[in-house]
Amino acid sequence: MTNTYLRGLVVKVGVLGLALALAVYAAFPLAAAHAWGWLAVLVVVTGLIFAIYLSPRPVPAKYLVPGVLFLLAFQVIPVLYTVATAFTNYGDGHRGTKQDAITAVQSSSVQRVPGSAEYALSVALDDGGLKFLLLSPDGKAFAGDAQGLHELGAGAVTVTAGRISAADGYQLLDLGRATQRNDEVLAFTVPTPDGAIRAAGLTRAYTGLATRFYDAGCDCVTDRGTGARWFADERTGEFVGRGGTEGEHLAQGWKVSVGLDNFARVLTDARIAGPFLKTLVWNLGFAVGSVLVTFALGLACALALQADRLRGRGIYRVLLVLPYAMPSFAMLLVWRDLFNQDFGLINRVTGLHVDWFGTPWTARLAVIGVQLWLGYPYMFLVATGALQAIPREMAEAAAIDGATTAQRFRRVTLPLLLVALTPLLISSFAFNFNNFNAIYLTTEGAPFPPGNSSIGATDLLITYTYRLAFGGSGAQFGFAAALSVYIFAIVAVISVIGFRRSRKQEEVYA
Amino acid sequence: MRIPLRAVGVFALAALTLTACGSSKTPETASTQPAATLTIWADDQRSAALKPFAETFGKANHVDVQVQAVSKDLQTNYVTAAQSGKGPDIVVGAHDWIGNLVQNGTIDPIQLPDSQKSAFADVAVKAVTFNGQLYGVPYAIENLALIRNTDLAPTAPATVEDLVAAGKALKDSGKVSNIMSLQVGQNGDAYHIYPLFSSAGGYLFGTKPNGDYDPADLGVDKPASVEAFKKIAALGEKGAGALTRSVNSDNAIPTFTGGKTPFLISGPWAVADIKKAGIKYDITPIPPFAGGKPAQPFVGVQAFYVASKGKSKALANEFITNYLTKPDLQVALYQTNPRPPALTAAMDQVKGSDPDIEKWLTASKGGAVLPAIPAMAAVWDPFGKAEAAIVGGADVPATLTGASKTITDAISK
Amino acid sequence: MTARTIAWVRRTGWRHGVGVLAVAFSLFPIVFVVSAALNPVGSLSSTGLIPASAGLGNFADLFRKTDFAHWYLNSVLIAGIAAAAGVFLSILAAYAFSRMRFRGRRAGLVSLLLIQMFPQFLSVVTIYLIFAGVGDFYPALGLDSPWGLMLLYLGGALGVNTWLMKGFLDTVPKELDESAVIDGASHAQIFFRVTLPLVAPILAVTGLLGFIATINEVLLANVFLHSDGAKTLAVGLYGLVADQRNANFGMFCAGSLLTAIPTVVVFQALQRYIVSGLTTGAVKG
Repeated sequence: MTNTYLRGLVVKVGVLGLALALAVYAAFPLAAAHAWGWLAVLVVVTGLIFAIYLSPRPVPAKYLVPGVLFLLAFQVIPVLYTVATAFTNYGDGHRGTKQDAITAVQSSSVQRVPGSAEYALSVALDDGGLKFLLLSPDGKAFAGDAQGLHELGAGAVTVTAGRISAADGYQLLDLGRATQRNDEVLAFTVPTPDGAIRAAGLTRAYTGLATRFYDAGCDCVTDRGTGARWFADERTGEFVGRGGTEGEHLAQGWKVSVGLDNFARVLTDARIAGPFLKTLVWNLGFAVGSVLVTFALGLACALALQADRLRGRGIYRVLLVLPYAMPSFAMLLVWRDLFNQDFGLINRVTGLHVDWFGTPWTARLAVIGVQLWLGYPYMFLVATGALQAIPREMAEAAAIDGATTAQRFRRVTLPLLLVALTPLLISSFAFNFNNFNAIYLTTEGAPFPPGNSSIGATDLLITYTYRLAFGGSGAQFGFAAALSVYIFAIVAVISVIGFRRSRKQEEVYA
Repeated sequence: MRIPLRAVGVFALAALTLTACGSSKTPETASTQPAATLTIWADDQRSAALKPFAETFGKANHVDVQVQAVSKDLQTNYVTAAQSGKGPDIVVGAHDWIGNLVQNGTIDPIQLPDSQKSAFADVAVKAVTFNGQLYGVPYAIENLALIRNTDLAPTAPATVEDLVAAGKALKDSGKVSNIMSLQVGQNGDAYHIYPLFSSAGGYLFGTKPNGDYDPADLGVDKPASVEAFKKIAALGEKGAGALTRSVNSDNAIPTFTGGKTPFLISGPWAVADIKKAGIKYDITPIPPFAGGKPAQPFVGVQAFYVASKGKSKALANEFITNYLTKPDLQVALYQTNPRPPALTAAMDQVKGSDPDIEKWLTASKGGAVLPAIPAMAAVWDPFGKAEAAIVGGADVPATLTGASKTITDAISK
Repeated sequence: MTARTIAWVRRTGWRHGVGVLAVAFSLFPIVFVVSAALNPVGSLSSTGLIPASAGLGNFADLFRKTDFAHWYLNSVLIAGIAAAAGVFLSILAAYAFSRMRFRGRRAGLVSLLLIQMFPQFLSVVTIYLIFAGVGDFYPALGLDSPWGLMLLYLGGALGVNTWLMKGFLDTVPKELDESAVIDGASHAQIFFRVTLPLVAPILAVTGLLGFIATINEVLLANVFLHSDGAKTLAVGLYGLVADQRNANFGMFCAGSLLTAIPTVVVFQALQRYIVSGLTTGAVKG
C-alpha cells in the first residue's frame, strides 16, 4: 500500500508542478502587456486549482474542475457575451465604436484635389525622422514633411526609373522597411495650399482632401463641398441628416444599446409571430422524428449484431458505421442531389418521378430520411456500447425464469438501456432541434408557399432565424441573438421536462 | 484492459504537454520573420492563381506575401476579422460586397490617377465606384451569355421562342433530355433569370433621373413584371418545360457538358468544364423574347480591396495600385479561369489567343451593372423564390404580391 | 427447407439479414461517392452508381494540386488529441456526477446540456474575438493555430458525452467501488484502477464519437484556420467545392473517402473494447 501511496503522491506533485509551470509561463506575456486584470484571473484560478487538489477530502471539484474550466472559457463566456449582444444593435453597419465610425467616414471621404499634381514618391529618413522625397511630373525634386514642401537641387538627387533613388543627406527606405513604419507613413501628410500630399501606396503620392470631417462641438459630420451636416443619434447609432439631407443617414454607424427593442421586435414582427407556432410544431416533429427513427434502427441493428457467434460481425459493424465516418456536410450535399426530381439517383433507380423537395410532406420525409442515414450509425454505436453495460447475469437470470426473448428485451434490456440512453436521446433531440446543416445543406427550407419567401415547409426555427438575421441587408447579430434567446428558452423547457422524466427512471433503476 | 486505458491517459497528458511545448517555441520563430508581411485573403481558386505573383512581388521587395484561401463565408469572415484588427491587408471579392464593406468601415478608397483609371474597361470602373469613390481595383468582368452546343444547334437562335423550338425538336427526337439548361433550383436564382425577366419587360427598381437605382420604386409586382413572369411561367414546368426547378447550380453545367442539352445560360466560369468535356460550343448574347426588350444580363466585376485597418496598408496600396494595374497579373488570373480581364491592355493580350473573350464582351453590351445598393440584398432571396414558385406553376400575381411585400418590408427596416 | 436451416435462420440467419440490409442502406450513397471519385470526368449529375471509366487521377490530383497531406496530418492530430483529452476530461466529470452527491449536481447536469443548445453560428463572432485576444498574449494559441482550435474543441468536452458516460456509470454496480474502499484504496486509485477499466467500452465509444465530430467540424475551423498548411480536411475539402462544385467534384469525393479512413481505423482499433462485455472486462482486467 505504501508503494502505491508514494506513487500517487509523485503523480500528484508532478501534475500540480506542471500546472504551476504552465501558470508561470502564462503569466509572463500578461505581465509584459500590463494586463493586470487577466493576471489576477490567472492567479485566482491557479490558487483555486491548488486549493482543490491539495485538499485531502474527496471533493467532486477534483473531478469537475478540468472540464469546467474549458467549458467556462470556450462555451459559457461566448454564449453569455452573445446573449449580451441581444440588447444592442450589433450587426453590419453597427459593428464598431463611434470613433471607428468617425474614422471610417473621414477616411472614406478623402478625394484627390482635381487638377493637382501626381508625385513619384520615395520614403526616406533624415536626422529629423520620416520624409517624403517627391518627384513632380515636370521633373522637379522636393522633400516634404509636416512643415511643407521644399525643393531639392537637381544635383542633390539621383533619379532612376522615374523615382528618386538617392539623395544627399537622406537614407531611402525600400518597401519592406517603409512598411515597418506603416502607421507613420499613412499618417504622414505634407500640407499644400489646396490640401495635403499623402502617400498612395509607397511609390506614389497625391494631393488629397478629406471632404467630410467630424466636429465634436456639434457632434456632427460636415461635408466641405455641400455644407450638408449629419448629427450623431446615440439611440440608433447613426449620423442622421438634417436640413438638406433630411431622412438620410451615413452608412457607417456604431454599436449602441437598444434595451429590449430586439426582444419586442420578435414579438411584434408579423413575419415572425405569424408562422412561429407552425414552425415550432414541425421543428419538434423533426427533432423527435429524427431521434426516434435513428434510435429504432440503430437499436435494431445493435441487437441483431450482438450475438457472440455471428460470423462477419466485425465487417458488418465497420460497414454499417461508414455513413458516420464520411464528412457529414459532404454527404448532405450528395443526398440533396440524390433527391433531385429529374437527375437524382433515387427517382432514376426507383422509376418514380416524385418532386421530393417540391411538396411539403415529401420534403419532410426526405430530410428525416437523410437524418436517418446520417444518424443511425451513431445510435447503433451507443446502443452497442450500452448493451455491453447490461450485466449478462441479469438477462441469463431472466431466461432461467422462463421469459421469452421479447419479454426479456422489454422487461430487462430496454429499461436498463433507457436508463443509460435517455439523457443521450434528450441531447440528440436537442442537437436535432437546432440541426442547421440538415436543412440548410439540403432543402434550404423548401418548399416555400408561393408569395412567401420567409418560411418554408422544412424550415427549422434556426434556419428561419438565420434567414431573418442574415438574409436581408447584412447581418443583424443583435436581433438574431434575441430570437435565439427565445428559441433557447423553448428548447430548455422541453429538455428540462424530459430530464425530470429521466430522473424518475434513474431513481427507479439505479 | 488496463494498458490501453493508461495509454489513453498518457496520450491526453502528452497532448497537454505538447500544447505547452508548442506555445513555448513561437517567440523564436516570430523573430526570424521578414521585415514586413502582406496578407491577402481570397477564395480557393483565386488564391492559387495569386500565389506565384505574390512570391515574385515579395522577392523583389524583400517582403513576405501570404496568400490565404478562405473557403467559406469569405465576406463575413473578412468583416469580423477586419473589425477586430486581425484581418488581412487585402481582400479579393465581387463588387457587390462594396456596400457592406464600406458601411462596416473595413475598406478604404483607392486613389488612382485618371491615367490609370482609364486603362480599365469603363463598366469595371463604374462597378467598383461607390458614393463617388473608387473602392477596389477590378481584374475580371463576368456576365451571362448563351452557350450553345454547335453540334446540336448549329445556328444561334434569334429569339427565346426560336431557342425553345430548336431545343424541343431535339428533345422530341430523343437527342437531348433538356430543352435548355438555366439554373433555377428549389429556391430560384434571381441572377440567372434576370436577362429573361428584363427582356419580357419586367424591372426590379426604377431609376432616378441621374441613372441610379431608386429603392422607392420597386417593380417586382408592377403589371409589367407580372406580364414578364407570365412569359416565364409559359416556359416553366406547366408550360414548355424549358425551365425546371430540377436544374440547379450543381447540375446546370454538367447537363450541358454531358451533351444532354443544346443550350446553357451561364458565365465564363463554365467554359473550363466545357472545354474539358470536349464539347464544340459558341457564345452569343442571350436572345430576347420575340418582340420584347433586349435581354440584359447583370454585369459583375471581381476586384481587390485595401483593408482599412491592415497592418501593412501602405504596402497593400502599393501592391494593388502599382502592381495589379500591370497586365501580367491580370493575364495570369485570366489563365487560371478565363474571365475577361478588366484591364484593357490585358484584355487585348488574351483576345488574340482566345476568341471567347470578345464574345463575352459582346454579350455584356447593354447589360446592367449588378446593383451594389444595400436594398438589392433584400431582393435576391424573395425574388428567387418567387421565380421558383412560378416556374413550378404557381399563380403569378399572388406570388409576386407576396414577394414584393417581403422586399418592401426588408428595405424599410 | 430443412428444420436445421429454419433453426439457423431463427438463431443467426435473421441477424445476417438485418446486417446485409443495413449495410446496403449505409453503402448506397457511398457507392455513389466512390464512383465519382474514380470517374476521371466526374461531375455530379453525370455520375451514376457505376462509373463510365475508372482511374485514380482524382486521388493523385489531391496530393499534387492541394495541400492534402498537410490537411490530413492536421486533422488526425487535432481530432486524435482533442478526442483523447476530451474523453479524459469528460469521464472525470461523469464520475463525479454519477458517484458523488453534491449541491448543484442536478443543475450542473442540466446546464451542461443546455449550453450545447445555443446556436453556434451566433457565438462564432465572439469566439473569434476571444481568440484574437488570446493570440495577442500567446501567439501559438491564437487564430490560425491548430493548438488554439484544439483548446476550443476541449470547451465542448463536457456535454453530451458526459451524459452518456454518466448514464453508463449509473449502470455499473456501486458495490465494485465500495469493495475497493474497504480495501483501503484512495479515491483517485479507485477511479483509475477500478472504475476506468470498467467503463472501457463507453470510453471507446465516446472517444470515437469525439474523433468523428472533430474531424468533420467545418464552422469553427473555417473561421480559425487560414494558412494552407494549417487547415484541416473538412475546411480544405469544403474549399474544393465551395465555388466550383463541378470541376472538383471527383477530387472532393476522393478526399471524402480518404477522410473516412482514419475514422475507420480508429473504429477498428477501438472495436474490441466497444464489443467486449463489461463484466468480462472486470473479471479479466
